[in-house]
Amino acid sequence: MKKLLIFLSILTLMALTACGSQSSSGDGGESYPSKDLEFVAPASPGGGWDATARAMKKVLNDEKIVEENMNVVNKPGGSGEVGWKYLKKQDPHTLSVNSSLVLTNNLLGKSQLTYKDFTPLAILTTEWEAVAIPKDSSIKNAEALMKQLKKDPKSLKIAVAPGLGNDDHLSFVQAAKTYGVDVTKLDFLVYESGGDVVSALLGGHVDVATMSVSEAKQQYKADKVDILAVSSEERLDGLEDIPTWKEQGVDMVFPHWRGVMGPPDMTEEEIAYWDEKLKKMTETDAWKKILKNNEWQSFYKDSSETKKFLKEQEEMYSDLVKKSGLAE
Amino acid sequence: MGVDIQTLMEGFKTAMQPMNLLWVLVGGFLGTVVGMLPGLGPATAVAVLIPITFGMDPTSALILMAAIYYGAMYGGSRSSILLNTPGDGSAIAATFDGYPMSQQGRAGQALAMSAIASLIGGVIAVIGFIFLAKPLAEFALQFGPAEYFLLMVFTLSAIVSLSKGNMVKGFISMSVGLLLSTVGVDLQSGVYRFTMGIPQLSEGIDFLVIIIGIYAVGEVLYNLVSIDKPKGDKKSVGKKWITKDQWKVSKWPILRSGPLGFLIGVLPGAGGSIASMLSYTTERQLSKRQDQFGKGAVEGVAAPESANNAASVGALIPLLTMGIPGSGTTAVMLGAIIMLGVQPGPLLFQHNGDMVWSLVGSMFIGNIFLVLINILLLGLLVKILDTPAKILYPVIFVLSFIGTYTLNYSIIDFYILLLFGVVGLAMKIYKFPIAPLILAVIVGSDMEQNFRKSLVSSDGSLGIFFESTVSVVLLILTILSISYPFITEMIQKRRKTQDTAGNHHEL
Repeated sequence: MKKLLIFLSILTLMALTACGSQSSSGDGGESYPSKDLEFVAPASPGGGWDATARAMKKVLNDEKIVEENMNVVNKPGGSGEVGWKYLKKQDPHTLSVNSSLVLTNNLLGKSQLTYKDFTPLAILTTEWEAVAIPKDSSIKNAEALMKQLKKDPKSLKIAVAPGLGNDDHLSFVQAAKTYGVDVTKLDFLVYESGGDVVSALLGGHVDVATMSVSEAKQQYKADKVDILAVSSEERLDGLEDIPTWKEQGVDMVFPHWRGVMGPPDMTEEEIAYWDEKLKKMTETDAWKKILKNNEWQSFYKDSSETKKFLKEQEEMYSDLVKKSGLAE
Repeated sequence: MGVDIQTLMEGFKTAMQPMNLLWVLVGGFLGTVVGMLPGLGPATAVAVLIPITFGMDPTSALILMAAIYYGAMYGGSRSSILLNTPGDGSAIAATFDGYPMSQQGRAGQALAMSAIASLIGGVIAVIGFIFLAKPLAEFALQFGPAEYFLLMVFTLSAIVSLSKGNMVKGFISMSVGLLLSTVGVDLQSGVYRFTMGIPQLSEGIDFLVIIIGIYAVGEVLYNLVSIDKPKGDKKSVGKKWITKDQWKVSKWPILRSGPLGFLIGVLPGAGGSIASMLSYTTERQLSKRQDQFGKGAVEGVAAPESANNAASVGALIPLLTMGIPGSGTTAVMLGAIIMLGVQPGPLLFQHNGDMVWSLVGSMFIGNIFLVLINILLLGLLVKILDTPAKILYPVIFVLSFIGTYTLNYSIIDFYILLLFGVVGLAMKIYKFPIAPLILAVIVGSDMEQNFRKSLVSSDGSLGIFFESTVSVVLLILTILSISYPFITEMIQKRRKTQDTAGNHHEL
């Protein structure tokens, strides 16, 4: 009986852990890919990176765009550092999801790695950033908000998650800096997750919150919070009554993008392979449906555009990080 | 917040569909199993199941994931009671009296009681959910950083007061826990503390690794060290059903702990660990036979079990009413249902009301299933006690490593696991209470961050901790819980001098 129990437990364990294992067959070397592929989500299950990796795997395999089996592995830690360190040592059959953290971790002095240590393959999606306030707030528009912060940067408490130096934080800093606010003096309350930021806002424990549009949208639709501005170029579908920063005299557009990269020194053919496959993927209905469900927007850039884009982004972030007082 | 009976009945009907019944059964069983194994918790199980839910109807997916969640609450205490190796924070309180009962040959009764208490706690919480979901969600919003800080201080003080007569060791244990909780990135400043350049430590030491290390690996090492000592008689399992007297003493603790756990579960982030610990300490302080607690009092098993299961139902409230996940597991569930095209948020009740009520119905049915599963498994589970140490402990050892790896997929955690195994051994040998350390690790970093957020938002004034009614109530409770042991001691002394004849009650 007890043997049966032990056997059953071990069986369950194996079933549970099997999804994390990777199988590999011999390296043929002739055509890429020659074995199973691996997607690194450098975070725990449940977040945007994990969702992106799993969505890619699903669409690429379900739509038979890529025949080889793909596994998503989670390597959480250090805002992506753990997963990317791992990626750096793999062969081109391993790819990883990334975001602006691949630039800012380095700029903030938290990591030695930069985007130059990897092979950029694509930018896939973007979310936009929103600034939200409680329903009963006396601030009525983005300009009033900035005016007050310009007068006294410490007069409003701003909620952000899950850490300083991320896009939620830096997009607000960018807007405030553009308006002429002394951004080094702003009072940010850092919460553990986007959900905590929403609770703090609903409970009136903070005056302002900066978060991705998807996190704020449902609360806005239910008439629980107000959104003052979105960081996109044009007004967003489903939020047509919310003005952009640009319309309100703050000249900035701030995407919160997610992309894909591979280990260093991938060959021309390998890069071309992914240019073709990923482009195909972004054109499927299945992918479009996933974007819609997650409130992501397509932001597809192929490998050469991505390279250029990352360079521009690094300059932008470098300036921002310096001015925000986060790095000396 | 209309709970109209018709929609509720519709929900039950959907939950009763054969496929959904099957999902409840599968989820509940899987939850029980992962709950039993150290380190494998509901969050991991739900995450692994996400690809399976892709093709499912969102209602069934939600039913399945929720069943895993509360199933794990049932399973979690099995290993606490039988082996003194809790698999999760919410199962720690079950070791206090469950393990002593097991050592006294009353394992069967402890397991049965815990299943019954879980059922009642779960049912209380489901009923609470039906009638109070919205107002409670509003109430939870009143908890700002100051209130959270005070709630955590209260919990810690209640735990330390458990180690009465051994306060110094209790405080040392708690302080070590608090120190450990400072490892990792400091959210407010973004500075890495005590990470020694290891990126895996940047998010702190996972408290589950510490739990598995101290309890499970510690227990294995302890048995290894004391292997030469005579073990005494072979432990018997005893009766497999509770007695009338046991029910009598446990009835009120169960009925009180259910609502308490439910309320704490509703608070985002507080969860089962705090709920079960607070219900245990509350019942101990209310009890007429305090001295029995920690030595195998059956109500000491019943109370936390009722509370943690109720908390797991409560934790679904912020998720379903506001789209705010209140725990690790619910965060993963949120991600999964978004993928299926359901937007959890304040509008979920309006747009997908039928889904929510089906879930409520399924939780009701699921809890009954789980009691049956657990009672049927009881005969099988207690066999673990007959397993020779030379087989049992190596198995636990291996399971500890597997469980640890599934948490963060990190090898560094293995070293931490072993380190805390040794710490656990030392604590057992020198009789340091373990719970204060673990709880301090669980709440420590949140407590600190909330303290600092409070001060930033009040511009440095400590007055913020006295501003709201909730804060004041929590402060009073904290003071009471620290002074209570001394007050009771005084009363007892007075009573002793009064009736010099002494009493015949058990000592």
